Amino acid sequence: MSVINYEFRNEVLKHNASLSYCYQCSTCSGGCPVALLTEGKYNPRKIIEEAILGLKDKLIESQDPNPWLCSTCQKCVELCPQKVELTEIFTLVKNLCFEEQKFPEAFYSQGKAVFDNGVAIPYSNSIIARRKKLGLPKIKVASVEEIQVLLNETNFDKNILRGTE
Amino acid sequence: MAYDLFLGCVIPARLPYLEVSSRKIFEKLGIELRDVDGFSCCPDPTGIELIDHETWLTLGARNLSLCDNNGGVVSFCSGCVETLKGVNYFINKDVNAKEQVNKHLKKIGKAYEGKTEVKHFAQVLYENLDKVKKNLEKPLEGFKVAVHYGCHYLRPSEIIKWDDPFEPVTLDEIVKALQAESVDYEQKMECCGNPLEKSDKDLSLQMIDNKLKAIQEAGANCVVVVCPACYQQFEYNQKELNKKNNSEYNIPIFYLSELIALSFGFKPEELGFNFHRIKPSELFESIGFDV
Repeated sequence: MSVINYEFRNEVLKHNASLSYCYQCSTCSGGCPVALLTEGKYNPRKIIEEAILGLKDKLIESQDPNPWLCSTCQKCVELCPQKVELTEIFTLVKNLCFEEQKFPEAFYSQGKAVFDNGVAIPYSNSIIARRKKLGLPKIKVASVEEIQVLLNETNFDKNILRGTE
Repeated sequence: MAYDLFLGCVIPARLPYLEVSSRKIFEKLGIELRDVDGFSCCPDPTGIELIDHETWLTLGARNLSLCDNNGGVVSFCSGCVETLKGVNYFINKDVNAKEQVNKHLKKIGKAYEGKTEVKHFAQVLYENLDKVKKNLEKPLEGFKVAVHYGCHYLRPSEIIKWDDPFEPVTLDEIVKALQAESVDYEQKMECCGNPLEKSDKDLSLQMIDNKLKAIQEAGANCVVVVCPACYQQFEYNQKELNKKNNSEYNIPIFYLSELIALSFGFKPEELGFNFHRIKPSELFESIGFDV
């Protein structure tokens, strides 16, 4: 049985008060391409419902529905008659999943790449050669040290690199 | 007219040939794009933002702080545009977020006020459609184009503030200005599925399969996109789907800049068309487009 976690509910509400406007009409799920393909297994309305009720165990621990199946198409947020900021709430839910170390591996890899290189895709030697051949200028990206100062500031390294322990 | 150019990660480091056509058409139109040193990942609104919103906001603000004194920023990538516009949106909406971000930026001697205007390259092209038409040397007759807007070019409209989130017109009008045909198709406004590659590859493939099917049924002979994630999703998955489902997809995928460059008279060789996995040369032959 699910347990209401008031602290969790208040945390989400404090972050985004539009959550409380939801009257569960399901317009979001009706327009969601992933809800359609998964026959409702992924269901934005249900994620919002669980957030309103503060069901942290379902939302973060058992991930039912799985918030990582959102394709970030932003249709739900456009369609919502109550102007609930669904994708902002989903972002918070996913950020919280990250804190609990519950995320698909590919996200970790991207986070690590940005931490290590400042960019998501480092420039390989063959790409540098190809750019030259195509007549494109040399790219001078951010200093990794500077990026890491910021990532330390936001505790990104602690949250992300924790995954390798 | 001059903008700072924000290249992002995917185009310059994986698909540099798309950068070639983009730079060439801006040069031809007399719109200067200035290269800026020191950008990081935008960061990815379908990746880093979902890991940690505050980090995403901070790195995005740092990027914009590098061009704070110029006339605005242009990017060839819908994801980068969404992130950079999103940074402006959140910083201007929430004074606490602005303070927090600037507290972080102070550690590296930078600051960002949230005032730099951000534009998608297709927006700049649309705003200069008359110039585009004036440079038309080779009308794209015979091109039956399935326009794919992609999600982040349009939504969330509150942040993007460009075109209509469900009934957009800008890309269709650009395509028509090149004298190509824009073919309507059933799945036109659907997501390509690329962001789901990180969490569920099958679902991601199903989404692009549905789009390709609808495009084929509508009789289009090519697709045009304005986002490198959409580009990869369309271009890289056709062969995989053919193997999996016995389908016969062989639909060339163009970046908007490539179609425009062709219509301006640039040659496929100078645009790096040889790097396409689905070679456009077959299409040129079948419709008698003399390149």
